[in-house]
Amino acid sequence: MSTPRRLSPIHESLQQIEGTWSDINGMPALIHTSEDARIAKTLGIADLSSLGRFGVKGAGAAAWLAHYGITVEQPNRWTRLAGGLAIRLGLSEYLIEDSLSNTSSNIPSNTLPNTMVSRLAAGNFDPDQVYPVLRQDLALALWGEQVPALMLQTCNFNFRALTLAENPVVLTTMIGVAVTVLPSERNGLPFYRIWCDGTFGNYFWHTLLAIAQELGGGVIGTTSILFP
Amino acid sequence: MPLRLLKFGFSKTYPEPRMFRSPDRLKSSYDAVIIGGGGHGLAAAYYLSRDHGMNNIAVLERGYIGSGNTGRNTTIIRSNYLTPEGVKFYDQSVQLWQDLSVDFDLNLFYSTRGHFTLAHTDASVRTMRWRAEVNKHYGIDSELVAPEDVKAACPEMDLNCGGHTPVLGALYHAPGSIARHDAVAWGYGRGADQRGVEIHQQTEVVGIQVEADRVTGVATSRGQIATPRVLCAVAGFTPRLLQMVNLPSPIYVHPLQAMVSEPMKPWLDPIIVSGSLHVYVSQTARGELVMGASLDPYELHASRSTLEFAEGLSAQMLELFPFLSHVKIVRQWAGMADMTPDFAPIMGKTPIAGFYLDAGWGTWGFKATPVCGKTMAYTVANDKNHELIQDFSLDRFKRYELVGEKGAASVGH
Amino acid sequence: MKQMICPINGTRPIVEFTCGGDLQSMPDPHCGDTVWADYIFNRNNAPTIKQEWWCHTPSNTWFIAKRNTLTDEVLCTYLYGQEDV
Repeated sequence: MSTPRRLSPIHESLQQIEGTWSDINGMPALIHTSEDARIAKTLGIADLSSLGRFGVKGAGAAAWLAHYGITVEQPNRWTRLAGGLAIRLGLSEYLIEDSLSNTSSNIPSNTLPNTMVSRLAAGNFDPDQVYPVLRQDLALALWGEQVPALMLQTCNFNFRALTLAENPVVLTTMIGVAVTVLPSERNGLPFYRIWCDGTFGNYFWHTLLAIAQELGGGVIGTTSILFP
Repeated sequence: MPLRLLKFGFSKTYPEPRMFRSPDRLKSSYDAVIIGGGGHGLAAAYYLSRDHGMNNIAVLERGYIGSGNTGRNTTIIRSNYLTPEGVKFYDQSVQLWQDLSVDFDLNLFYSTRGHFTLAHTDASVRTMRWRAEVNKHYGIDSELVAPEDVKAACPEMDLNCGGHTPVLGALYHAPGSIARHDAVAWGYGRGADQRGVEIHQQTEVVGIQVEADRVTGVATSRGQIATPRVLCAVAGFTPRLLQMVNLPSPIYVHPLQAMVSEPMKPWLDPIIVSGSLHVYVSQTARGELVMGASLDPYELHASRSTLEFAEGLSAQMLELFPFLSHVKIVRQWAGMADMTPDFAPIMGKTPIAGFYLDAGWGTWGFKATPVCGKTMAYTVANDKNHELIQDFSLDRFKRYELVGEKGAASVGH
Repeated sequence: MKQMICPINGTRPIVEFTCGGDLQSMPDPHCGDTVWADYIFNRNNAPTIKQEWWCHTPSNTWFIAKRNTLTDEVLCTYLYGQEDV
């Protein structure tokens, strides 16, 4: 048995849940549980930490990313890429994340897949004021009609005031933890992505999961949420 | 007691003698003027009149006596500090406290409870050990104890703190005490008044006259006073007074908030402090829990209270004592804490002759009330810093000789 | 809850912000110990309208706030160097 190359910040907590596991980008991931279909419409909470992720910041970061064909015009907005998404965090910091379809679970864990993130990470950081940012996030997805109820209990920000068509991204705090929130909709139901520092992972996960369960939801698998 | 109460009820005039007189006018000059009618100012007046034969003194108070931080603190008294300068100083204070009730002939409800400072990390266990060793070296009763000892003294505590920050040990300081804070101001006020000191309430200082770097007088809302000596003991108002005499200082003012719960049957004997959780709590003789936390996070010259504070402190309290979840908070308030960069006070003479400072008492001033009064009285009477306060002078910052009391001064700084 | 306006992220509760202290200019490091001690320790600390550094912590956005330290009113906030914009 080989040691996994990466572990989710909430790996231990996830292991207590019965379900199907698979290796994504060298990280063991809970991809499916038997409850997924039942829970997803109400409030499903899934760990997406295994997706490839890349951060870059600095006054030269925008021009640097433009070379790779990535631009986000305004601060605190996101844009869809061919193989993932790009978020502009404030004025001069960016987060790029691969989508799951662009990563394969069949690739041996000791070789890097050819994705947007791996191409960026192998880039040249010599230009002035371009600095790579280490991303070790807990990345979550929340899906279902009860997502706004969960956000109301955990966050001060009024998401109802946003226009989703503008692709907004909100940098705020939830239950005392600094987070990046990307609110959107999927199949007519609220679909929120949340990133926070992995060191807060267990606290953040347990608190959100307890609230989700009170609201009739629970954990769902990574592929269940991405390919319903 | 009930008979005495009846007498109060039927009497047309107030049947008890007042604690101190209220002179209706200021004299044109005094040998010394003390600005600030809190514990520190009144204690200085008391010791000046009792030990140094100075009784032509006016204490000027903007509001009523004890209305500032003397009546707003959480009444904890201890001497388990970190630096030798601090330990010696606060130990003197604890010894003075113990005789104060007899000295005043007034019950201060001085109650020795024992004081636990909880350590939730390896680093704080190391600091506790360091403090215990410094304390023991100076003969102060202070030791590092195990979580079981905390549990024995306070069985209601959740040592695991909900799994987030388990208690790994504690610094135990047996002489840790609480006292009734406003009685301290009244006791010192009455003692000073009996010896001829005038206490002027509702008297605000609006200016201080300085000629050739020497104090000559004080302008107040009720008239002008000539005096060669001014002691400034005004806590959060210190920057405003220093502005009147053009003295730069490193003092910055942040509000410090506190709150009390509804009264309960006695269950908490010791005083519990947790630096990591930003909590200190004790139970009063009335059964209320008195709770405090860390300073407000930014400068403000007002004593307003905030919901964030009550919410935050309640959450931290519940980590330690989950069974309190249905207990109500009945009062919340704030005081203006005059903080210094090294968390030690600023005391003694200043570059202006005759202008003495007793300031920078931030969040730790109540416990030092008697010793501050005593050493400042000595300093004012002899125009010479008392040896216990030499390390606390204003010019230490110019010489980069800071005292470094941050690790032990309070919680969460 | 008290709120503050981050120039980038908009109006947020005050708990999302950290105060970084007074906006002040550094003297020449060769100024001598007395001037340097005055710079690092002494503050203009009577209540007044101050310019302070503040940070919106979730986004790490540093900016300047003009604030009345007696009444706790925030008069305006702006990115450093963009006061007149």
